[in-house]
Amino acid sequence: MKKKMSLAPAFFVGPHIILFLVFILLPTIYGIYASFTKWNLMSDPTWVGLDNYRTILFDSSSTFHTQFTNGLKNTLLFVLFTVPILIVLPLLIAVSLEHKKVKGKGLIQAILYVPGLISISAGALIWLLLFNKQLGFVGNLFNSDVSWPANQPYAWIIIIVITVWGGVGGNLIIYRASISGVAQDLYESASIDGAGPIRRFASITLPSIRFPLIYTFVMTTAGAFNVFGQPLMMTDGGPRQSTHVLMMYIRQLAFGNGESIAGMASAMAVLLGIVILIISALQYYVMNRNAA
Amino acid sequence: MLKKKWGFSVLASVLLLSTVLTGCGGDDDKKTITFWTPLTGDDGAYMDQLVKDYNATNPEIKVKHVITADMYTKISTVLSSGKGVPDLSIIHADRVPGYVKQGVLEPMTDVIAAQPELKQDNYLPQAWSTGTIDNVQYSVPLDIHANVMYYNKDLLAKYGVESFLDDNVVTIDEILSLQGKLDEGDYVVNDALLGWVMLAQIQNLGGDIQQDGKPAVNTPVMKQAFEEVKKINDAGLMTPFGEDGYLMFQSGNVLFSTDGTWSSTAHAGVEGLNFGVTNVYSTSADKFTNRGSSHLFAMLKNEDRSEEKVAGIGQFLEFIRANSMEWAKAGQIVASKQVNESPEYQNYMQSFFTSNEQETQSLYIYTYEYYPYIAEAVDTYCGDIVRGNVDIDETLQTMQKFVEDKIAESAGAAQ
Repeated sequence: MKKKMSLAPAFFVGPHIILFLVFILLPTIYGIYASFTKWNLMSDPTWVGLDNYRTILFDSSSTFHTQFTNGLKNTLLFVLFTVPILIVLPLLIAVSLEHKKVKGKGLIQAILYVPGLISISAGALIWLLLFNKQLGFVGNLFNSDVSWPANQPYAWIIIIVITVWGGVGGNLIIYRASISGVAQDLYESASIDGAGPIRRFASITLPSIRFPLIYTFVMTTAGAFNVFGQPLMMTDGGPRQSTHVLMMYIRQLAFGNGESIAGMASAMAVLLGIVILIISALQYYVMNRNAA
Repeated sequence: MLKKKWGFSVLASVLLLSTVLTGCGGDDDKKTITFWTPLTGDDGAYMDQLVKDYNATNPEIKVKHVITADMYTKISTVLSSGKGVPDLSIIHADRVPGYVKQGVLEPMTDVIAAQPELKQDNYLPQAWSTGTIDNVQYSVPLDIHANVMYYNKDLLAKYGVESFLDDNVVTIDEILSLQGKLDEGDYVVNDALLGWVMLAQIQNLGGDIQQDGKPAVNTPVMKQAFEEVKKINDAGLMTPFGEDGYLMFQSGNVLFSTDGTWSSTAHAGVEGLNFGVTNVYSTSADKFTNRGSSHLFAMLKNEDRSEEKVAGIGQFLEFIRANSMEWAKAGQIVASKQVNESPEYQNYMQSFFTSNEQETQSLYIYTYEYYPYIAEAVDTYCGDIVRGNVDIDETLQTMQKFVEDKIAESAGAAQ
């Protein structure tokens, strides 16, 4: 009888555990193993110890070192450009949607959320046409005569625009849900005490949605580090590889032309993973402590 | 109530598990030839039709065409696990040397022995010989798909330069002669497949991409090739950097488009675009090259492939050899001579490239084993060099190093 009861939770958790093991944990472990090898995906991996890491991190004459540093630099730039917008903008929209006089809240939310459901490639094709010098409206609107994907800083701008367009909705929904969970009497009593809207936002809303804020901040940052589709589709890494992000190099090495260089690619991926891990942990630590 | 919940969770987990696990199993049907191709575009439909036609002849073993996105990655996976290896696949010419070196291709010896017509004489010679390594035949060709040059007939007439086409070679000098003569917004040539165009110029200048098996990227010939093509850009005759030159050709603003044989169907779909096809422009008036690749039938190593299946593959390839007119519709240069010498084939635009010996020879397929890395380096950097965004010498050094580093990493793994 006792035994029978203890099976129930296993059935609920089981599927997730199995999926996690098969599709996340095992590949991760194998990926870490592969990063210590030379491997072309077909023959058996050859153990090379820390060689891949040494090449990537310290051999400044190596192509892989230049690719890694350039890729990481561009990825960091992408994170710096997009994450603040992807946190602040949805938060502002969510707060403004709380105002009593705003009509069609559901519609506005839907309009902002739908882009997130569209695949990056389809979205990118549309945006490329919008930014096209001859066909698009942007050239006329800004009276600009440059080809945006091929010149900086425009190349970054179009990547940021499509990222924000596709990413605002997801965080917006989380913020709206958590703001609607904040007790109304807090606002009422604050108003009675004479607190203005800004004070109410800073002293009630923000502390109340602390955990959703930390969560979205950490997840958005981790997601931004894994950026791949937007620069690939919009600029193909150009001009002069200045928007060529790390994931593009990793993919090109492992699944590009000719024989695969999967060991080196894995090492780059592991290094990227470590960077994400450190930054996420740091974010969580700092925000949690400040909020407490 | 509790019971109901239980039932639901069991059902849910069973469903989930079964979806997860069905991906792993899959018995190979002994009566079917599994045929993988990377033909994810429109050409996949033409191949579907060919396979359907073959199966309609009621062969003993039917062919099942599986269009496989990311095919080369999947090939790596099935080869390393040894399970689910397709019986037959279409691979690109540049994959053959690497695959043979890694020992993952089965020679076509038995297939060819059973089908006397599957021989070099019946195919475009270079398409056949890309599959010949140390006198062993590893592939049977389907086509050559090449970089070619489309021209806008109306624009040629407008600028009075139809004479460019007289000798079938449009030279860079001829292109440059149009400097200052074009209306605003018109261009002589676009930058479609620019990397392929560069690799053709290497041949036109009598160079190569290798020397004694070592990659040769940072060479005087490569530099010269880039400098020649760069002249077109510097004269303002190439479609601007970062713009869709392919689209600009289709909208009637560009005289020449250097894209692929396979684009002819798309160009034909553009209303009012009056176009023809010729050889890719050249640095010299004496030589022209159209850099090509080839779709090849090949068998990946698979111990479970029965003799019956090998015989079936032979029959299928013989059927394709005799009946692949359908493939011409996809715009490709069909490799089988029976097809490309037939009167019906002359209706297709790409028949230009098999119209005489010189044309046939202009279709050049690189067979150097590290060609893919070199092509990648050229593709990555050619735009910036031709547009004058970077220093040629420095970038050629970077490219040479790029290829050498990649070779060094892969060579160790292949052993």
